[in-house]
Amino acid sequence: MRYIFKFPDIGEGLEEGVIIQWHVDKGQKVKMGESLVTMETDKVVTEIPSPREGVIAARYGKEGEVIRVGAALVEIELDSSEADISINQEETKTQQVEEEGAGVVGTLEVAGNDFVLTASKEGIHEDNQTKSNSVKALATPVARAMAKEMGIDINLVRGSGPAQRVMKDDILNYSKQDSKPTVSKSIASENLLEERVEVEPLSQIRKTIAKNMIQSKHNAAHMTVFEEIEISELDRIRKKYKDYFKEENIKITYLAFIVKAVALALKKHKSLNAEMDMEKGVMIYKKYYNIGIAADTEKGLVVPVIKNADRLSIKEIALEIQILADKARDGKLSIDDMKDGTFTITSYGSIGGLFAVPVINYPQAGILGIGRISKQPIVKDDKLDIGLILPLSLSVDHRIADGGETSRFLNTVMSYLNEPVGLLIY
Amino acid sequence: MSTQPVLYSYNLPDYAIFESKKDFDYYIGTPDNTYIVLGRSNNIEGTINCENVKQDGIITLKRPSGGESVILSPNMLIFSFMYRNDKIINPHKLFKIINTKLIDNLSKIGIGNLSSKGISDLNIGNMKIMGSSMFTKNKTIFYHGVLNISEDVELIERYLMHPSKEPDYREKRSHRDFVSSLQREGYNLSKEELTKALETSILQIKEELKKI
Repeated sequence: MRYIFKFPDIGEGLEEGVIIQWHVDKGQKVKMGESLVTMETDKVVTEIPSPREGVIAARYGKEGEVIRVGAALVEIELDSSEADISINQEETKTQQVEEEGAGVVGTLEVAGNDFVLTASKEGIHEDNQTKSNSVKALATPVARAMAKEMGIDINLVRGSGPAQRVMKDDILNYSKQDSKPTVSKSIASENLLEERVEVEPLSQIRKTIAKNMIQSKHNAAHMTVFEEIEISELDRIRKKYKDYFKEENIKITYLAFIVKAVALALKKHKSLNAEMDMEKGVMIYKKYYNIGIAADTEKGLVVPVIKNADRLSIKEIALEIQILADKARDGKLSIDDMKDGTFTITSYGSIGGLFAVPVINYPQAGILGIGRISKQPIVKDDKLDIGLILPLSLSVDHRIADGGETSRFLNTVMSYLNEPVGLLIY
Repeated sequence: MSTQPVLYSYNLPDYAIFESKKDFDYYIGTPDNTYIVLGRSNNIEGTINCENVKQDGIITLKRPSGGESVILSPNMLIFSFMYRNDKIINPHKLFKIINTKLIDNLSKIGIGNLSSKGISDLNIGNMKIMGSSMFTKNKTIFYHGVLNISEDVELIERYLMHPSKEPDYREKRSHRDFVSSLQREGYNLSKEELTKALETSILQIKEELKKI
């Protein structure tokens, strides 16, 4: 039995809508309430749910095309259980079925009186033949299609429906008895797949991350340099000031020192704080130093920005990091909090990992990755000692920064972190 | 060199509520900057004045909901809500509930001659002061509207072309003759007063939705 679903008036009294996106393909199974298509009318973009369960036999209109209210959107080959109802009605010809569509939004008015048709001409023809010639089995279209797909001779299947009509379940039961391995294997594989995967729509933030990452990889010439630095002195100073500012509820982190070191190093190596405009054929060297901090949140990666980090003290940077981290965690970051970054730091070490190849926050010129700090054996004054090692991974856009300048920039950052007292003076 | 501005996906703070885990959530706030927001099917060409937009560095976004392009600015209030429910809600009915509550609560703070026109516009007399649109996905309705408090209509004239579709009552009027602001209509209300009226409306709408 085939059900023709027409584009309903979704409640604005309008005459037409635009197909934004199809969510089903021909041959696909749909359940009642599953989204068929996203349509747009003058003020509303809405998903149109399937009013019935079955298999999509046809769909009308391409994405971007205008469909008039009342025009056919899809034809659904009804599932056997639904078809059974109609089969019993078949003897008295096609009947109108009163039904309210299961719309998510809007009452999906089922348009027209002839929306339930007999399954196909073939079906009617075969049914008639069955009466005069018992060789061909009486069967629902779904069962017939399923038997064909599974390679089962439908005439060998005993029907459990009205007038011994072969139903979908009869085919399934028959296939279980059938010893052909291909049939049982395909059913088993299908079930296994449903159990093994979970399909989830992309969130807006995930789409944005994907778009930005691809844009960076497509446009920037990535190059990465790795280094390690001994930070025992930085650790000593951090601990000292950590306790000092504890009363003010400000947490002095390694990151605050690194932000300051990077901002000051950028002032000495302008190409790392630059942006290339290929269209205009110019290089834009920025004279402001806004450091983005890549933050891992429940919803995904966000990059809030510490503005004018070169002018802020370690304490002010630490406070700013705290405020932005709280906002990121609560999902309260505004566009203003995240715009105008000139360089980015990604600190994955607190979660795990020594080195990485960070993806540049395009169109910026560089990104510094901070790995996990660990105690390691070092040679100090020709003696074996225990050092506190911070791994660094610096990715740059090689179109903007040459290798030599990149290494010099990293050396400057390291010299600041090696002599952190200097950072407190600026 | 491309003359078209870059088109970004709609990512203003109100859209975050669409991913809220609650069944109902809302946002009321002032845009932090001036933005142009295109409707889902709008194209840049024929919709906005690319030269002016690019020259002024205005960020152009495309929203997931329907309707024509709008301007958002710090002199406006955007208000949005999301509602997740299995029940069937007719958008026309929903727009009617929303505008009835808005008119009711905005009238209470002294704004007169308010009416709902077109599909979902809110007007003072024959001048539009609020526009809105809606989209639904995964049994979630997302509604957003923008109320012009005091933005100069010349800004709209500068950036937006005449829309390809318009409600009958617009009668081909230019932006200048069709759109207005509360201030231009003689209402100098604070953002706090307006925010409160909008919030009251949204909470009342929530109660109405529960009854459906």
